[in-house]
Amino acid sequence: MTQDYFDFTKKLFALEDISHKKEALKGLRVLDLSHMIFGPTTAKVLGQFGADVIKVEVPYQGDYWRGGTYWGKYWKHSNPLWHFINPGKYFVGIDVKKPKGKDLILRLAEKADVVIENFTSGTVEAWGIGYSQVSKINPKVIYASLSTYGQYGPYRYFPGWDLLAQGASGVLAATGHPDTEKYFKVPDFFGDFFPGYFAAMLILIALNYRERTGEGQYIDGCQAEILMRSLFHFTYSDALGKDLERTGNKDPNCSPSGIFKTRDGKFLALGIATDKQFQSLCKAMNRDDLARDERYQKAAHRLRAEHAEALYKAVEAWIKEKDADEIVTLARKHRFAAAEVMDDVQISNDPWRRERGSVIDYRDDMYKKLVIEGPIAMLSHTPGRTKWLTRPLGYHNRYVFKKILGLSETEIRELEKERVVGNWDYRVGQRPPIYHDITKDKIFNYEGGEDH
Amino acid sequence: MKGVRTIKERVYSRYLQKKGASKPLSEWSQFLSKMMAVEGKAEALDDMVVLDLSYANFSGNVAASFFAEAGAEVIKVEPPEGDPSRILSPYGANRQGVGIPYLMESRNKRHITLDLESPDGRENLKRLAKQADILIETFAPGEMDEWGIGYRQLREIHPGLIYIAISPYGHYTAKGKEMAEMPWTDLTSQAESGLAALIGDLPSAPEPYNWPTRAGFYAAGYTSAVGAACGGLIASFFKRRTGEGQMIDIATADAFASCVGFPPTIGYVWKKPRIRYGTLDYGLCPYGFFKCKDGYVAIACFRDQDFRAALKLLGKWKIEEDWKTLLDRITDDIDKVLELNEVVEKAVADLTYGEINEKFSAYSVKAARSKWRGGGLPVTTKMLTAKEVLQERHWQVRGTFSKVEHPAYGVVTLPITGKMSKTPLRVKWISANIGEDNDYIFKKYGLTVTSQGV
Repeated sequence: MTQDYFDFTKKLFALEDISHKKEALKGLRVLDLSHMIFGPTTAKVLGQFGADVIKVEVPYQGDYWRGGTYWGKYWKHSNPLWHFINPGKYFVGIDVKKPKGKDLILRLAEKADVVIENFTSGTVEAWGIGYSQVSKINPKVIYASLSTYGQYGPYRYFPGWDLLAQGASGVLAATGHPDTEKYFKVPDFFGDFFPGYFAAMLILIALNYRERTGEGQYIDGCQAEILMRSLFHFTYSDALGKDLERTGNKDPNCSPSGIFKTRDGKFLALGIATDKQFQSLCKAMNRDDLARDERYQKAAHRLRAEHAEALYKAVEAWIKEKDADEIVTLARKHRFAAAEVMDDVQISNDPWRRERGSVIDYRDDMYKKLVIEGPIAMLSHTPGRTKWLTRPLGYHNRYVFKKILGLSETEIRELEKERVVGNWDYRVGQRPPIYHDITKDKIFNYEGGEDH
Repeated sequence: MKGVRTIKERVYSRYLQKKGASKPLSEWSQFLSKMMAVEGKAEALDDMVVLDLSYANFSGNVAASFFAEAGAEVIKVEPPEGDPSRILSPYGANRQGVGIPYLMESRNKRHITLDLESPDGRENLKRLAKQADILIETFAPGEMDEWGIGYRQLREIHPGLIYIAISPYGHYTAKGKEMAEMPWTDLTSQAESGLAALIGDLPSAPEPYNWPTRAGFYAAGYTSAVGAACGGLIASFFKRRTGEGQMIDIATADAFASCVGFPPTIGYVWKKPRIRYGTLDYGLCPYGFFKCKDGYVAIACFRDQDFRAALKLLGKWKIEEDWKTLLDRITDDIDKVLELNEVVEKAVADLTYGEINEKFSAYSVKAARSKWRGGGLPVTTKMLTAKEVLQERHWQVRGTFSKVEHPAYGVVTLPITGKMSKTPLRVKWISANIGEDNDYIFKKYGLTVTSQGV
């Protein structure tokens, strides 16, 4: 029966069928006024599942993350770590600080289902493109303001980003070894990405509600607060009257648990959640004595600090004498959780992730091959997909202004002359790759007609 | 704190002081203050029924919580002995046998028991599923199918059903099949999805401090949960338009890599894995929390002008020449970066957080007033523990923590977010007794009570 089931799911989720399947959010338009990572991630999710996302940037400057990267490494005149945050969007350059620029943004907002921004609290209101202004011309709009400390409360004017949000929310204080002076942050801007997905969830809730009632609304997406939502530390602290200290490699919710070094020098995570899994582990370890020990029968007892430590030591000694593969095979056979620690290259080359579609060899018209991550959730009927990678700053100006706002070529030229709209300067991250002939690019020079 | 706040406002609210901005802004504050109130507001998803069958997998519990906060009727279906994730709790801490994480996620849910090993239990589940919009399950891939209540069977009796499956390697692919029996933990998900490899001290530090390290919370579990909820809501939006249901598959071994996206692309472009970076940052320096006299303080220099400002304020201007531009401070050369980092470490060690904050704020006021915008805006904050966060007035004003009283569990503190002007997310009650709502739910959905129990 299991054989049969996997044949069924193989067809249900076949990667080759994705491009022919429907898109759940098709027809929705998202105006993405955000920058860096938090807001752009939120807009990206909606775009992956079919919404048209128009990303507005400042001409000749652009999103700061265009020019950012790790270790100074650039790729094809762009930041390689920017493409997977803003794929499939329409890129326009409009200067909000010029009155005509503000009007253009309002005209786009009038035609949008969702507007997303992540400036410091109150900034968009002062610019005249906030919810109070947009909702007057578009009452059904769902407008999400995303920020570190939220739109109200005494800290609302504090600027912030991932690092500060991790420190202020309690996330930073949770990670590291208990007997040291070092606290480790969760890397790769987790404090932007996780809240980014969370904010997408809030917008999706609002979209479901609008589908029922026709009503739009305002969303105050607070980065630090969203990180707090993922911590059980507050409930713990208040119930026990003391903070939960850092626990290094061990998970205090699972016993035994830890990240161990194997005989072949690899790192392996192992965690035991249920009583049944503990019995399985003992069998795999050939430790009948532990299996029968009164102290370890029930999870609630195993989790006690002294018992957890004793079991940790036993598992550590056992794993030291085994290769990582052996342990994973035993874990699979006996049904307890063990997994090798995977690094960047292992993940990037993983055949399982490729077959699954969670790591994709993407081929783009402009940038050619890049390996990127797939959607966070796999949907059988309306799967997410990547339509293109990013594009240079202002690349879709003509396409968007002509098609959506009905501007003429003469009007656009006039706006360009006044620097109300514009595209890139020569800085890395803004311009097209050198091999790309922009003069022959039909979308950049859009004259009308076909859809992109 | 009050003085500091005014300074901050003076700096960062400069846009708000523009001519003609005051009236719309006061209307705006009134709108925002109305947002705080939850009472009497609509619930976005109160036309939905969600079945939560998650078993020994915390991400299922959390995904279901999000639907419950948005107003859906969420029915947690457990075997008669209960879901093992009930007791997964730091050092076993519990109230009346319910662990802290489970208690935290038992908001707005109904608890019933069904024995899915028995034919009667399965019949009852089918009856429930027919009336549900979403079903969440975390059993081994194929297990529900074998019981005759998997997606394949349920979609026959209810084509509009949205079926969310959460498992370590997913319900398709060769590896998914091979590893179907492997259970879930947050720790193994962190390890397998690329997170643990990036946390830990520098290679030069002693073992085990330089080993891969766990993020000290359910980082993978909550990421999978938000992914599952996003998928479920996208599908339910589509269902509202077309009536069509579908299956959603979440692999928890994807959690971190699929959320942040860095590992797959870096693995491809760099061609070699990153080493663990301790408290340093892969992008910038100085960019992190540094130990000061009375805690840990953020020194985060984004732009050159922020760096210059920080050096002046920390009394280290004389090194500026060696580290002038961002290009000089790229963190690929670890020894070089450590040199700069140590200068900052030493400068910060002698100051208190209050001193640093005061210097930084005063400088920012001056820089913001200056017409020349090259002065930099150094910002900082203090690292807080959970206990300290709970005392912050800002979060009290925002209602970030809900205190709920329960006859058996006492007063429980729960974080809640999702500030929406028309349909805010909320905590209405907590309940976690096994089978607490059997009578109510069995009657409401027409389930059969059998002689063996339920």
